[in-house]
Amino acid sequence: MKAAPVVSDVLLGLAVLLVLASAVGILVMPGAYAKLHFVTPAALVAPILVTLAIGVRMGLTENTGESCLALVFMVIGGPYLSHATIRAIRVRERGDWRPGGSGKAPGTEEEQ
Amino acid sequence: MSFVAAAIAMLIATIPAAVVLVRGEPPEAVIGYEFITSVAVMILALLAQGFQRPSLFELPVLLAVLMYASGLVYIRALERWL
Repeated sequence: MKAAPVVSDVLLGLAVLLVLASAVGILVMPGAYAKLHFVTPAALVAPILVTLAIGVRMGLTENTGESCLALVFMVIGGPYLSHATIRAIRVRERGDWRPGGSGKAPGTEEEQ
Repeated sequence: MSFVAAAIAMLIATIPAAVVLVRGEPPEAVIGYEFITSVAVMILALLAQGFQRPSLFELPVLLAVLMYASGLVYIRALERWL
């Protein structure tokens, strides 16, 4: 029995477990701030595991390369999206993302 | 076969996020949308690998790029108009 398929299946299983747990977290946790914590495992860690699983199974092939490319975009874009989301939610709730902000909704401040 | 099974399991995992997307407040719905698009990238990659179609690997790459752009559009709308 070769090790590569076993390792690949284990990595896939971990990725699926991670995504399922994150999905339950998104459903159960109260409020947007708490829910956002459960996007990161599914958007960053699980893609790494899936890419590793494909790489272990296929070796250095076109499939692995394109998976790595998608992974790079997700790893770069994911943190930006999370940060922008939390900033937008804060602006929506308090009118400004800074502590002690204006308290007005964005775009409603009068120009001086 | 394990890749297709993993894709199906991840597809099932999108159901809770879809519930949040449909029933939650706008900020929660955006978070559900981000989760679903992230999982969709993996589902497309797993299906392409499972069915041995290397040409289909372009779909997850494209979706990974579009996920970033579309996410920012929704976030901007959430911040200003929703």
